[in-house]
Amino acid sequence: MKNTLRNIFHSPRFVVGFVIFMAILLTTIIYPLVVTANPLAMIGQGNFFKPGTYVSVKDTVTSKTYTLNIEAVSNIADQLTDANKEDMRTWLVKYGGVSQEDMDAADDDELVELWLENYDSSVTQSGLTSSAKKAYVRLNDTILSLMDDSDVIIASENEDGELEESDSISTKEYVNVSDVTNKKTFLLGTDNFGRDVLTEMVNATATSLRIGLIAGLVATLIGLSLGLLSGYVGGTFDNIIVFITNLFTVIPSFVLLILITYSVNQSARGATLIAVVIGLTSWTWTCRSVRSQVISLRNRDHVNLSKLSGHSMFRIVVTDILPYVASYVVMALILQISSGILSEAQLSMLGLGPSTSTTATLGLMMNWATAYSAHLNGSWWAYFPVVLTITLISFSLNLMNTGLDQVFNPQLRD
Amino acid sequence: MGKVMLEVKDLKTKYVTRLRESVYAVDGVSLKIEEGKSLGVAGESGCGKSTLALSLMGYYFAPLHYISGSIIVDGKEISGMKPDDVRRTVLGTDVAYIPQAAMNALNPTQKIIRFIEDVIHVHMPKMTKKEIYDLAKERFEILGLPEDVLQKHAVELSGGMKQRTVIAISTILSPKVLIADEPSSALDVTSQKMVIKMMRDLMEKGYIKSMIFITHELPLLYNVTDDIMVMYAGQIVETGSAKEMVFDPLHPYTKGLMGSIIVPEAGVRENKLAAIPGTPPNLKHPPKGCRFAERCKYATPTCAGMEIPNISLANGREYRCLMSERKIREVYENE
Amino acid sequence: MKGYKKYFGQKIIWYLVTLVIAVVLNFLLPRLMPGDPVSAIMGKSVSGMTDATAIQKVYEQYIETFGIDKPLYVQFIKWVQGALHGDFGVSFSQYPRTVSDILASSIGWTLALQLPAIIVGWLLGNILGAVAAYMKGVFDKAILPAFMFLSNVPAFGMAIVLLVVFSVQLGWLPASGAYGYDLIPNMSLSFVWSVFVHYQLPFWSIVLITIGGQAIGMRSMSIYELNADYVKYARFLGIKDTKIVGYVFRNAMLPQITGLAMSLGTMMGGALVAETIFSYPGIGTAMVSAITGNDYPLLSACTLVITIMVLLANLFVEIIYGIIDPRVKAAQQD
Repeated sequence: MKNTLRNIFHSPRFVVGFVIFMAILLTTIIYPLVVTANPLAMIGQGNFFKPGTYVSVKDTVTSKTYTLNIEAVSNIADQLTDANKEDMRTWLVKYGGVSQEDMDAADDDELVELWLENYDSSVTQSGLTSSAKKAYVRLNDTILSLMDDSDVIIASENEDGELEESDSISTKEYVNVSDVTNKKTFLLGTDNFGRDVLTEMVNATATSLRIGLIAGLVATLIGLSLGLLSGYVGGTFDNIIVFITNLFTVIPSFVLLILITYSVNQSARGATLIAVVIGLTSWTWTCRSVRSQVISLRNRDHVNLSKLSGHSMFRIVVTDILPYVASYVVMALILQISSGILSEAQLSMLGLGPSTSTTATLGLMMNWATAYSAHLNGSWWAYFPVVLTITLISFSLNLMNTGLDQVFNPQLRD
Repeated sequence: MGKVMLEVKDLKTKYVTRLRESVYAVDGVSLKIEEGKSLGVAGESGCGKSTLALSLMGYYFAPLHYISGSIIVDGKEISGMKPDDVRRTVLGTDVAYIPQAAMNALNPTQKIIRFIEDVIHVHMPKMTKKEIYDLAKERFEILGLPEDVLQKHAVELSGGMKQRTVIAISTILSPKVLIADEPSSALDVTSQKMVIKMMRDLMEKGYIKSMIFITHELPLLYNVTDDIMVMYAGQIVETGSAKEMVFDPLHPYTKGLMGSIIVPEAGVRENKLAAIPGTPPNLKHPPKGCRFAERCKYATPTCAGMEIPNISLANGREYRCLMSERKIREVYENE
Repeated sequence: MKGYKKYFGQKIIWYLVTLVIAVVLNFLLPRLMPGDPVSAIMGKSVSGMTDATAIQKVYEQYIETFGIDKPLYVQFIKWVQGALHGDFGVSFSQYPRTVSDILASSIGWTLALQLPAIIVGWLLGNILGAVAAYMKGVFDKAILPAFMFLSNVPAFGMAIVLLVVFSVQLGWLPASGAYGYDLIPNMSLSFVWSVFVHYQLPFWSIVLITIGGQAIGMRSMSIYELNADYVKYARFLGIKDTKIVGYVFRNAMLPQITGLAMSLGTMMGGALVAETIFSYPGIGTAMVSAITGNDYPLLSACTLVITIMVLLANLFVEIIYGIIDPRVKAAQQD
């Protein structure tokens, strides 16, 4: 046993897989201890806030200010969209008298300079609709306001209900971020509901792992016990089991999953139920393989000896056969966990995932992100970390599996 | 004296394990086979006899490595050749091989005749398919194999049939030396007899010029080969004619081997020695003295201390033991 | 020839039996669940929860067509009769389209997408796996983890990544649909081009997923075969390595064909979900709209069609396998 463990941990594939998996697992355990907030709290009003630290504007205004003698860089070019810049170039060449060569040579900052020099709304702009003309005026206003370095006035209501200037902020005033009490960091932004993606994802990963584990255990237990019995007992029982397993290797379990989960009452469709249903539809594979292993084992000498000694079938199966298929069963369980997590994700993508509002799963997060077009509006943080997590879980489990395979089936060793 | 088909002088080879350890599996083997003669090589598993087979063929692909010595096949030195050249020009034509597990030696999804075409095309690219088919048919007929086997896949053949097919294929180019490595071990008694008959037929009809038959069952060789060589821990411990070796073994190891196998041949099972106790030495670090000393019940302290010379007797027998022939007979008689 | 007939006969009978059971399950499973969709349909129509009279009419028609108020076996017979005529009733969510109409317009897209994608992925995967096994060394060491990683990316994940990179970021390819929304299907060059362009992302996301898994399987099969006794024997007879590699890859390929049959269902499942990412107008997308629209008739017809497609594909693979692997023929002669 000790030796086997040592061999396993000498397999680089297993170790890499194990480390990745443990890192994910430990994160799901430790993170909630540190961040105790409700993972599904809808903090952001609005959807898909990008990753970063959000500081309270009010706090910033009221915090102690420091004057720094540095030029406030209002990098206008950065704040203009590509479409804006394209419009500006077009206008400047057409109506602003700038030659095409100069235009092509100009970088973004020079473009803004050229614009400020040459734009004039009163120029005859033949061929432009009035709305397009107005759009250019608005664009110009935007640029000018970005250029504006006059102070920001802060007014507050006095006792008479009138606004009174209470403070003004010059462009050289700064606050120290650590002075700002109210701030919130979203390492991975927020999702469509305004939830903190990172916290939500850690919670979802834990749920998905649990789903995978339950599904895997259910599938492996059923597959193992039926496989053991069918292989050892043989006869009619075996024939029936073989028939059923053959049946369900060709009837896609995916379809059965859809039919069952769709039919179960929405309110009853919790994560655990989904997990059990996944397990119930995916045991045939394990059963098949265990059965064929048992058949090759059941006529071995030590089994025959046990039979001659009058041991009960239960005892023979448990003590003389089970140990030989144990390594295999562990490997099957690992694969089942990984495919269980994937199945849940796919179901959720179709809209048949767990329908609880108290927990998230990786699949549900994917479903939400795509339903709100996160992938089309550039909110990568809402889906990419989730895809990566699913991939890493399944990758690490499969690595562990091949590592074990190399240890237990050395002829595949290369 | 016939033409010498194979002559090996002081051949040393080793194989290198995954952990980069050298195992000296063939350690100074010399032998000579004349045309029309056959030689049996017997020994326990792990004594180096399968490595010897590969070494004799010049098949020096990792993990097997050539150290020293010479191998001359019908006057041609092959030990210095590149392994790839040996494979292209020697194997299959000059030296042919019958593998240990003929059960799996044939590609299960290929028709037998297609494989024969592939084999022949390497060495005789000009032969047409028709000529190859005719040759194969003729050989199969002579060897008592049905012609329709040619059109079958290996999976469709029984174990015995597969083994006989492999023999027919290995010898189809009439090799000068045939090396058969346990060709009959995995078979039932009937198939075993058929295989042995085939080998003798091949020799008699001249389709193979000489043969080396490797087995762990020494008594089996009695009916098959002219001479027998017993191998122990990478070295030859005794050589002699088949009859002498079986009925009058000199080396204690040969004697032990005779006793450790149950053979239903009359007169062979005289003393019921059980398997020889102990295990062969580790060939990563071969002992300096007699390699059998540890397991030999006649061993004296001198045996383990010095290198044992090969003693040649007048009738061509050779053995590697410190005891003289007379002493040996005396000891055996007193038992 | 006799062996083949027996093999094919057995296979076809076996698949017919499987089909019957699959059909029964497709009918029975939803009806046996607590809170099943079928009685939900009854409930809706009786209590008049739906406001639109049109939908009310559809529900009533459904109850009428499928005799939901009748005993189960009568329902089953009616359902099978309908299914045999391609009549799955009217869609709830896309009234007044019939379910068979929706299916007819989506099956083609799914087949045209998945069939070539899975075949191409399978072939490429096998070639790469075989090359990795043969080359060993750096190529193998570098490429194997890459394949392992690739094969573990879920199909929808791959779809999203490709979509974001090649459509949203680079703008090379369109993001959704099977052809430009402004085009009407015809054989004009612009339409065919549009279909071709829209085809790329869904196609390659399925291909990439398939490649990884197949390459790993083929690699280890090839390594196993390279160590087989027949390889050594062929070498001992002086046969060239290139020829032997040919033997090995053919033999390693054969289990990969059965492997394909075993995993087709899973593969198609993943591919169907990937389809929905691109709003590709195939069965996957139809299924999602059925689920979101609570359209039971459409959903159950979709699952039935998927099952039949998987069964047919499996049967096809097994027949091909029977023809090219002599071991099958040999087994029949025993």
